Amino acid sequence: MDYFEPKTLREAVSLLARYGEKAKVIAGGTDVLVDMKFKEEPLCLVNIKRIPGMSYIREEKGSLRIGALTPIREIETSSVVRQKLPLLWESAHQFASLQIRNTATIGGNVCRASPSGETLAPLLVLEASAVARFSKGEKKLPFTELFLGPGKTLLGAKGLLREIEVPLPSKESRGAYLKHAVRGAMDIAMVGVAVLVTPDGGGKKARDVRIGLGAVAPTPIRAKRAEKALRGKAMARALVEEAARIAASESSPISDQRSSAEYRRWIVETLTRRGLEQSWRAVTGKEIDG
Amino acid sequence: MSLNIRLVVNGTRHRAKIEPSLSLLDFLRDTLGYKGAKICCNTGECGACTVLFNGKPVNSCVVLAADAAGAEIVTVEGLAEGGRLHPVQQAFIDTAAVQCGYCIPGFIISVKALLDRTKNPTPEEIEEAVSGNICRCTGYTKIIDAIQIAARQLQGSTGLTSKARS
Repeated sequence: MDYFEPKTLREAVSLLARYGEKAKVIAGGTDVLVDMKFKEEPLCLVNIKRIPGMSYIREEKGSLRIGALTPIREIETSSVVRQKLPLLWESAHQFASLQIRNTATIGGNVCRASPSGETLAPLLVLEASAVARFSKGEKKLPFTELFLGPGKTLLGAKGLLREIEVPLPSKESRGAYLKHAVRGAMDIAMVGVAVLVTPDGGGKKARDVRIGLGAVAPTPIRAKRAEKALRGKAMARALVEEAARIAASESSPISDQRSSAEYRRWIVETLTRRGLEQSWRAVTGKEIDG
Repeated sequence: MSLNIRLVVNGTRHRAKIEPSLSLLDFLRDTLGYKGAKICCNTGECGACTVLFNGKPVNSCVVLAADAAGAEIVTVEGLAEGGRLHPVQQAFIDTAAVQCGYCIPGFIISVKALLDRTKNPTPEEIEEAVSGNICRCTGYTKIIDAIQIAARQLQGSTGLTSKARS
């Protein structure tokens, strides 16, 4: 196995250009090292951990910019994330175990592109973008287009994630990230649902509703039809229940050792409803009317 | 292909030539002979291999040894001072929070890290601190007792630990 510790992004990207599919990028290593032990070693390992200046959380022009090498624990303990992106904070807080959060990076969680990746549904509803370096320059890839399938993203074999840009949601918006798993810690979500609700001026209607679903499709997805059913509408109980049913119908889960597809659909419906209820309560201080 | 690394383990400097795919756990155990960190799941799920990496608890089985170049590592062997066990170790013995013992070095390190960052941990903080450590024998109750006793001990009040020792 060839092994490199590039010291610059340019060097890393040129290694990826040279080795293509044969190269594997490693950052925190909590997933890659397991694959190397139990599946196979790549022909070339590109360890980007020594590239300086890639671990940071910065607020800039209405966005939070998070370096790809930022450990999940840094996100969890960041007061600016807790205050301005509570939805992302919640998923960082529920992420694996403390040991893993100290090691795993947000860039790794994104590039791994697991449908159940803890931070992905929240980043989808926050309408984040991935800023990626290619040999020809940089591209900004919206999360809504980034994921192509399990383990597959628009980065392909030659792009390197540099930064995640998260636009700060409107101050009136409130959200929830709900994860369904058997144990609290170290458990992969059977279903993860992220909800973000922005009220209109009067606080009766939802100006904007975003719903992200994790672990119930080949990629994390937005429940677009459920969002549309609620957008601009008064948040009434029957409508919220209908939207939750629509979200379940938009999911396409598989059956595996964690749960059956049918069970997952039920959980999508329940968590979507709960997420909408919680978010609306946080927005207005009131329960959703009958 | 191999690479040369230098690092500090339990205060001792080491230099070694390693394979780049080697895990920190295998490096500590097989190359340097620190057997305190245990191999169990070997996939970063059980916490038996927990060590401090620059003061933070990590699962050494899913950290590259190469990433430890220039780092300071602490394993369970590094906690006792002058033949005197660390208060966390003593509290685990005093409360009999140990049955088969295999998971305990990982727990001790997680608890050491907890008490390094918080002097007076809440029950929630205690649970969070060891939620990445799995014990299949004790049921955790005595482990939680041990952590509370160790916390009191480190704050300087007299707990069961000092009584048991006198």
